[in-house]
Amino acid sequence: MSYQVGIDVGGTFTDGVLIRDQYLIKKTKVPTQADNLLETLLNAFEHLDVYKHPVDQITVSTTLVTNAILENRLPPVELFLFPGSGMRMDALPWPVPYHTLLGEIDYRGREVVPPDELEWRRLYNQIDFSTIKDVAIVSKFSHRNKVLEESLADFLNKKNPELNIALGSEWGHTNFYRRSLTTYLNTASKKLYQTFAAQLQQAVEKNGSKAELKVLKADGGIVPISLLRPVESINSGPAASVIGALAQSDPQHSFIVVDIGGTTTDIGLILSGEPLLSAHGAKIGPYLTMIPTLATRSIPMGGDSTILPDSEAPEGFKIAPYRLGPAYCLGGPAPTPTDAMCYLKRVEHGNYQLAEDGLASLLPPEKRNPEALYNLAENILRKFAREINHTFAILHKEWQEEPAYKVWEVLHPHSAKDFYFFVSGGSAQGIKPSLEEVAHLPVQITKHADVSNAIGAALARPTLSCTLHLDTYVRSYSIEEFGEQGEWRGSRRPYKEVQEFLLGFARRKAQGLGLDPEKLEFKTRPFDYFPIVISYETVGQIVRGAIVVPPGVIGRLEP
Amino acid sequence: MKYTGLLFFPAFDWSLGDTHPEREERLLYTQEQLFEEGVMDLPQIKQYSPGLASLKDVLRTQGIFPTPASHDLDAHLIAAGSSLVLGDAWAKKEIYNGFALVRPPGHHSGATVQGNRGFCTINNEAILVNYLRTYYGIKKVAIVDTDVHHGDGTQDIFYHDPDVLFISLHQDGRTLYPGSGFIYEKGGPNAFGTTLDIPLPPGTGDEDIHYVLESWVLPRLEEFQPDIVINSAGQDNHFTDPLASMNVTARGYGRITELIRPDLAVLEGGYSIEGALPYVNLAIVLALAGEDYQGVIEPQKPRYPQKGSNAFKGFLKELKEQYGRIRLEWNFRNDSFLPKGKWVYYPHSVYYDTEGFREIRKDWIRQCNHCGGTVLLESQHTDTGKDSALVRIPFGACDECTQAGYDLWEYFIGRKISVLLQDQKDNKIELWHVDKGVTSF
Repeated sequence: MSYQVGIDVGGTFTDGVLIRDQYLIKKTKVPTQADNLLETLLNAFEHLDVYKHPVDQITVSTTLVTNAILENRLPPVELFLFPGSGMRMDALPWPVPYHTLLGEIDYRGREVVPPDELEWRRLYNQIDFSTIKDVAIVSKFSHRNKVLEESLADFLNKKNPELNIALGSEWGHTNFYRRSLTTYLNTASKKLYQTFAAQLQQAVEKNGSKAELKVLKADGGIVPISLLRPVESINSGPAASVIGALAQSDPQHSFIVVDIGGTTTDIGLILSGEPLLSAHGAKIGPYLTMIPTLATRSIPMGGDSTILPDSEAPEGFKIAPYRLGPAYCLGGPAPTPTDAMCYLKRVEHGNYQLAEDGLASLLPPEKRNPEALYNLAENILRKFAREINHTFAILHKEWQEEPAYKVWEVLHPHSAKDFYFFVSGGSAQGIKPSLEEVAHLPVQITKHADVSNAIGAALARPTLSCTLHLDTYVRSYSIEEFGEQGEWRGSRRPYKEVQEFLLGFARRKAQGLGLDPEKLEFKTRPFDYFPIVISYETVGQIVRGAIVVPPGVIGRLEP
Repeated sequence: MKYTGLLFFPAFDWSLGDTHPEREERLLYTQEQLFEEGVMDLPQIKQYSPGLASLKDVLRTQGIFPTPASHDLDAHLIAAGSSLVLGDAWAKKEIYNGFALVRPPGHHSGATVQGNRGFCTINNEAILVNYLRTYYGIKKVAIVDTDVHHGDGTQDIFYHDPDVLFISLHQDGRTLYPGSGFIYEKGGPNAFGTTLDIPLPPGTGDEDIHYVLESWVLPRLEEFQPDIVINSAGQDNHFTDPLASMNVTARGYGRITELIRPDLAVLEGGYSIEGALPYVNLAIVLALAGEDYQGVIEPQKPRYPQKGSNAFKGFLKELKEQYGRIRLEWNFRNDSFLPKGKWVYYPHSVYYDTEGFREIRKDWIRQCNHCGGTVLLESQHTDTGKDSALVRIPFGACDECTQAGYDLWEYFIGRKISVLLQDQKDNKIELWHVDKGVTSF
């Protein structure tokens, strides 16, 4: 028997589930204490009887880092950049201050302009390192050669061994701007995260549980709590929705995941049983990152969104992007979509009379008759459904129009799929008829709509991605996700050997993450081979390829 | 916000041969540079994904002989189709300007196509131009070709079209492929003066080429008043290009783009894939997006200074005077098969360097004071001996020219040759082939 626990920390409530061998044994919903995440989690554990079962694994989807970033609560980091030549720095918005330094690497990883140590000394003396201990160093093209970053790190380390120094090359994908911001955020959130992780670990152990603690990442994968790079936990809420829906669906189906929360609704796509990954990194607040993330969209509308009268809108109201409290029919201060659902008798919770009163407050006194109220309720939910359907269309377009860089890709476009909506969240039943009417697509409700995200956390599986960039002429390779750079000793024009090389790396990496490589479903993405030609002679090859374990579930929930 | 559309299609799985300049590696470092800079994250950049041109879109502009099926067009249809994607975006005002950064190139591919020449099989810009005229009612078009090679294919397609101004700046044809593009090539009998070829001496650098634009090209554009300006943005004027001998820098190209202010730019040649392309492409994208490109500095330094010279100004003045002196001179013939009207006869040959054969062309142009005039192009492949013909009824054709076009079409179908009818006016494209009969597109 194997027990899994999944916890999803939301803005208002924290949901938890206890699962035994794909059966849902227990579920809970506790209020989220915004200022005490640890207490919230321990509270949920109590309700789930975590300590009374031999739980193997507890997975948490947390907004700890997300909230700290969005609320601007992270400590400052000294950011040193080697931008080299090219686009002006201020062409892109930098939400954090930085220092720029001389030195340049080119796209093949060759040093074009050497660094200037004198400049480093001058700058070092100007900065007050007594208050700031965290440093991030990023050079353009450091994912091809990290020599500039390492030299400066050595220099700083000798001057001041107490500094915590992070290098941009640890995030090896191509994009200097995103790499810089990602390195910055990860460095800034380290301490906050590590404190939380240690406290949680202690608390669980203290209660005698031997459960392994895991954290859900933006790409829908899980990782041991001690190995997570903190910034990878952003966006895990929407990821939990998608994986939760996946765990309650039939394999190979294609559907639209809709998770209706209190003030936001998350929307994602599953294509033949695989969640769609975004072609870009995650965006959080003003920061563009290179964190791999599921392609999801959030709309600022949910069951508790406040509805305001609006004489300029054709329907006479608007749905505000905030919550004043619970729905009117549940004793709250203002009408919400939940009141419309209650009035139309689509959901069981809430006081019918209060729902009517709440909706009536949106109408002028002379128009407060049953027909007008009925139309108003219908219109509110139609508007909500239209917004969901519109967002699906945007995601669908993004999938259909993914950039393609090869002839083969253009000649083999994605085939059309039969989608249906798969809705979770407390308001799922309430939106169903409106969504069917607006989108002309079937709508299904997840069985455990109220704790779907927690199920996603409990049943998510680990992900792994190893992208190789090999230049046999310069004789260097890098594995982008891990910032691993090394010397290539293989042949100039490798073929099979390079795939084996990468698979070997991926297996070792999996072991390092505490995973059994034999149990992972490695998928090899098509490799690209670029002959390098100098003066009409082929002198080497650039090879790009990836081996991945895509997001998925360890098993599907039995009904 | 004014958006700049960017369509990056590097055809990473396509080449003309293992060590051919037109190979997989060509835009690899450009991709590294653009993506590393975060160009796609600029708020004003909108990335588009590639499209596929239909055969109708191609045949509206070019005769692919003997039939389209006899050529491998896949990669070329994507390069052309991607230009159309940006064309749609521009015409629908989704973008203010755009750059189709695509392979393979197209500007050596002419009105009739018997194979690949100068790395080109179909002409991306020309197909784009006629697509916009067909579906969006664009009337007047200017094409400025800043590839180092003469854009002879584009010139051939629009040589008789008074509504398309074709301007090509290139290294003097006496010193470089394709060996044409001289000052006397001013346009056909109905479109005289709408072709402007400016052959430049090898070694021309930034300031001199900017001077050509400022003193000649821009005033001509201003005078022509086009609805759209298209830039054939070849990058082989760069001082590191292995196939040519000019002296332009990446920043020089940024300024060229800024001066021309194209609505749409389409990549052409440029084969210094390490020394130039990553930097030139970045400079062009930044210039289109209204960003500063002065920081784009290639690691290699030019061997000669970029400063303009008085000698060059004198040379250009002389060239301009020569251009002004050239007058119409045509050879009229009235062969019995020709419909009513005065027909100019213009025979010439085209060399296909990729495969090494010649095409013999006999061009017949109906002289007309009302429209661009119906055109008949007879084309013979010298290796196979096969004959083909193209009948073009131009956009805005007058009734007489339209009638003449259909008379010619009637005359040719049934013969043992391939014949293409390009009724651009009514967007009717038909191909006669003796084995297949008439195919409508």
